[in-house]
Amino acid sequence: MLQLIDKIGRGTGKVVGILYQAGRDTIDQVITNILPFMAFVSFIIGLILSTGVGTVIANTLVPLSSNLIGLLVLSFIVTLPFLSPLLGPGAVIGQIIGTLVGVEIGRGNVPVSMAMPAMFAVNGQCGCDFVPVGLAMSEAEEETIEYGVPAVLYSRTITGPIAVILAWVFSLGMSWQ
Amino acid sequence: MAALVRLAEGFSAIFKTGGETFMGIAGGILPALIVLMTAINALVSIIGIERVENLGRRAGGDSPLLWPVRYFFYPFIAGFILTNPITHMMGKFLPERYKAAWVENSFRAMHYGLGLFPHINPGEIFTWAGIASGVESLGYSTSELAVRYLLCGAVLMTISGIVTERMYFWLWARGHNGQPPTN
Repeated sequence: MLQLIDKIGRGTGKVVGILYQAGRDTIDQVITNILPFMAFVSFIIGLILSTGVGTVIANTLVPLSSNLIGLLVLSFIVTLPFLSPLLGPGAVIGQIIGTLVGVEIGRGNVPVSMAMPAMFAVNGQCGCDFVPVGLAMSEAEEETIEYGVPAVLYSRTITGPIAVILAWVFSLGMSWQ
Repeated sequence: MAALVRLAEGFSAIFKTGGETFMGIAGGILPALIVLMTAINALVSIIGIERVENLGRRAGGDSPLLWPVRYFFYPFIAGFILTNPITHMMGKFLPERYKAAWVENSFRAMHYGLGLFPHINPGEIFTWAGIASGVESLGYSTSELAVRYLLCGAVLMTISGIVTERMYFWLWARGHNGQPPTN
């Protein structure tokens, strides 16, 4: 009987410990990763909405993101092998352009049917700054890195526009259309 | 004087709008996100990483049937359990010749699940939430968008894995008198 109580006690303690640690990890991530970016994005959006900058950005971004051809062009540009490593770090550029396109979707300047293709178009460069590090983290040999980095960057230029078309196909028949 | 007042008004309008936006996204996204992340973090520490390693060892075979496993399923599961950036280390269980295509997709796996599982990469959640919040502000549900985003990502990851793998083989052969990579 005492043994059973002991077992239950230990089990409960372990589960509570795991859950508590999970909560602590979550709050850490929220404070160190999520909130700073939200603050930063909010400032940018505030700046854009309440000054004339918004009109300028809208005038360049809306024609590119309101139709499939424009998005294909955008995805091709961001995946060019010499640009993608510069646009990649922290996914900051992708997140900002994504948020701006989101604002324009909310205002009705970009059709909502372009949401999915735009999501892939603005993010075509994801990770391109990180290829050598990623390969090294996978314990790749030096020669693998030497051929692997251009392989990833070149193939992006092919798969970037493919992603946009694929996303367009996948957003057919969405319930809002 | 009047111009100065207008300048001051414009200046404070920037931060007022920014503050409203901040309350909107923080209040709208954070509460459910925190609870969800806590639950998943707990689940992940129960599952453990040994299972992921086993999956990786099996995904390294040469059969074309393994393409979706190696380039979508494995990076996605690794991303779900290990999150960013530890996921990128899991390529070490694959043969050298597949590592380039692996990192290609371990990067992609950091984004395409974010609509459903934001714990994978909370620091880059706006790659999903930026556009999704625009869709949401029109009154549409984003769940369908999240599911389609992930499904489309799955197909795209398989395709881009194959493309990168072929590209690597081609570049390698060009540098080695037409010999394919051996390990």
